[in-house]
Amino acid sequence: MSQFNFPFEEETKDLKDLRLRVRNFIKKTFKEDKITPSPDAWVFSTNPSFSKKLGDQGWLGMSFPKKYGGHQKSMLERYIVTEELLVSGAPVAAHWIADRQSGSQIIRYGTEDQKKNIIPKITSGECFFAIGMSEPDSGSDLASVKTFAKKTTNGWKLNGRKIWSTGAHLAHYMIVLARTTKQVDNNRHSGLSQFLVDLSLPGIEINGIEDMTGQKHFNETVFDDVVLDKDSLLGSEGKGWEQVVGELALERSGPERFLSHFVLLDNFLNEFKSKMSEFSTLSLGKIIAELQSLRIMSFSIASMIEKKHSPEIQAAFVKEAGNNFEKKLIEIIREMSNLIPIQTWSPSLKSLFEDATLKIPSNSLRGGTSEIMRGIIAKKLGLR
Amino acid sequence: MKEEIQFILDVSERIFAKNIDHKTRLDPEKNHDTLIKEIRESHLTKIAVKEKLGGAGMNLVEIIPLIKLSAFFGVPIPFVETIICNYFFSVFDTKPTDDFISICYEENGVIIKDNRVSGLLKSIPYLNFTNKVMAKVRYNDDDYLIFFENKNSYLKQIHNFLAEPRYDLEVKNENILFKEKFPKEMNFLNILANLKSIQATGAMEKILQLCIDYCSNRKQFGRSLSKFQMIQNHISEISLEIAASGASISVLESSNNIETNRDENFSNDIKTAIAKIRTGMASGKVIALSHQVHGAMGFTKEYDLSYFTKNLNSWRNDFGTEIQWQNSLGNYFLKQNKNLWEFLNH
Repeated sequence: MSQFNFPFEEETKDLKDLRLRVRNFIKKTFKEDKITPSPDAWVFSTNPSFSKKLGDQGWLGMSFPKKYGGHQKSMLERYIVTEELLVSGAPVAAHWIADRQSGSQIIRYGTEDQKKNIIPKITSGECFFAIGMSEPDSGSDLASVKTFAKKTTNGWKLNGRKIWSTGAHLAHYMIVLARTTKQVDNNRHSGLSQFLVDLSLPGIEINGIEDMTGQKHFNETVFDDVVLDKDSLLGSEGKGWEQVVGELALERSGPERFLSHFVLLDNFLNEFKSKMSEFSTLSLGKIIAELQSLRIMSFSIASMIEKKHSPEIQAAFVKEAGNNFEKKLIEIIREMSNLIPIQTWSPSLKSLFEDATLKIPSNSLRGGTSEIMRGIIAKKLGLR
Repeated sequence: MKEEIQFILDVSERIFAKNIDHKTRLDPEKNHDTLIKEIRESHLTKIAVKEKLGGAGMNLVEIIPLIKLSAFFGVPIPFVETIICNYFFSVFDTKPTDDFISICYEENGVIIKDNRVSGLLKSIPYLNFTNKVMAKVRYNDDDYLIFFENKNSYLKQIHNFLAEPRYDLEVKNENILFKEKFPKEMNFLNILANLKSIQATGAMEKILQLCIDYCSNRKQFGRSLSKFQMIQNHISEISLEIAASGASISVLESSNNIETNRDENFSNDIKTAIAKIRTGMASGKVIALSHQVHGAMGFTKEYDLSYFTKNLNSWRNDFGTEIQWQNSLGNYFLKQNKNLWEFLNH
């Protein structure tokens, strides 16, 4: 039953001090740069200048080796910084994917040149990444991707389309999952490889897709005979599936899966704390217990990753439980408002609430749907 | 200490697996002789007793896995209760007893005079099994922990609403064998509530195992139940609730204060509330989903699920329902002049 164990990690005094330093920095920078917090900021709120400032503080690429411009800090330290950024609704979308997963993939699988050329730019907050996994005909069924990289004398030629690539329009690179040999019926996971694609190359077209909120945060990226040099291959040819599974554990287990809308809860409580009914107090107790349990799970996974474990099922637990929590949170905030009409809330709270309400359906779709998460869990339990 | 607890867990698992089955659980009075003998011989109930008093010297945090394991096996005797009573003896440097003991939290009008106790002690489990009772009582504006043997008192069997036996004890001038003022730094209710949260997590893990076994073996419409996506979804959700419960009880391992050692006496209100709320929420979901997986079979008394369902329902209610703890936790926050994030990170 070890998959249900989330060994407790104590937040040491050093980590608590780091937390306060990050908090003070955010407060000061928000004031100086006139930044307003927003929900789901790691997806929707982009501010390259803020990303650069985080890089200057040493809070990007924290766990990367020093020889590549990283800071060789632990995953637990990175976790603390991440939490503080999320709860403040800071504009972190530009660098989020590079810092969370792409950089780690390059550190793990990249060549020396790839590491030397790209990692320092990620840690300084000047190089952004997009994810190249889903395709128009391959959403949840990732193994069925059709984007193809054909070997040439000097490298590869890439053709295909990627979709739902958050931030691709601002990104410098995309890690693309592509077929390098045709699919063999009895092994759908073979013949896939990952490529490090410079998005400024000829033959790449990035088209924004307007989402329900009216924003164009995600994109369709078209690759038409894109010429890639030999060094564009990330990791081993044909090992793309194994590599992508590890990347997904990083993508799914972080606190963004349950703290994306904390800024709404915080603002709501600041406005309604003195008007709480007995019923609202009960709901609040439930939220606190659920949230703290999720934080323990996610912090514990950061420690597992630090110890080089592969917490795949645990990551699925956090993703699914975190998404459920955030959806419920919106509903509970409605209930806790204690019959005070939304129209009479302060304009900033009303705006946060409306924004969060519109964005919440995407929580349990991005990064693997609920159905996929449950499928992973069932498989790990031996039911598939 | 890690190796030591692993050894104890291995020994315990052997004893539980050998001596406990569904029949034993349903009729513990007739079938527990070997179980008791082997638990006594292994000194498992003295695990949280100081070494100088003959125990293993572990604290309450360290024995969490054993408490969970006992619930996983559905140990049908006051095993956990006795461990805790012996822990209290040890706190006061008193040698523990070899007997099994039940424990009481609710009392009414208790009088202590000339080292004798009278009054009403309520809703005590396992008095069909043992006549030794430890209780926390309030007398003359002080809290006392007392231990006595029931010899002359009136025992009335009641049931909790789940039809599990509990007993009200009209105590009549019983001789007190142990009496100490209850330490102010400890919280009796929190300790007992924490035990229930840990036990609930163990029972839910057992229920998950029952679900996986049942749906893997049972066939409907020509295929194993485990192949139906809806069943897989139910079981995934059960396991997710168990994972969250496991995380919530691991909060009990955290420090009260960064400058001090661990909270080894389980007495922090906020941590107790988090564990009791989260495991209580999970219990409701796990019961509903596991019965859905089992169909009518799970609703029969002869099938194991019934026993663990009753345990979960009882423990969810014992020492404060999750609703009561939600109220406490919500109010802890509201009464402090902190924003939520500061409160969560004290």
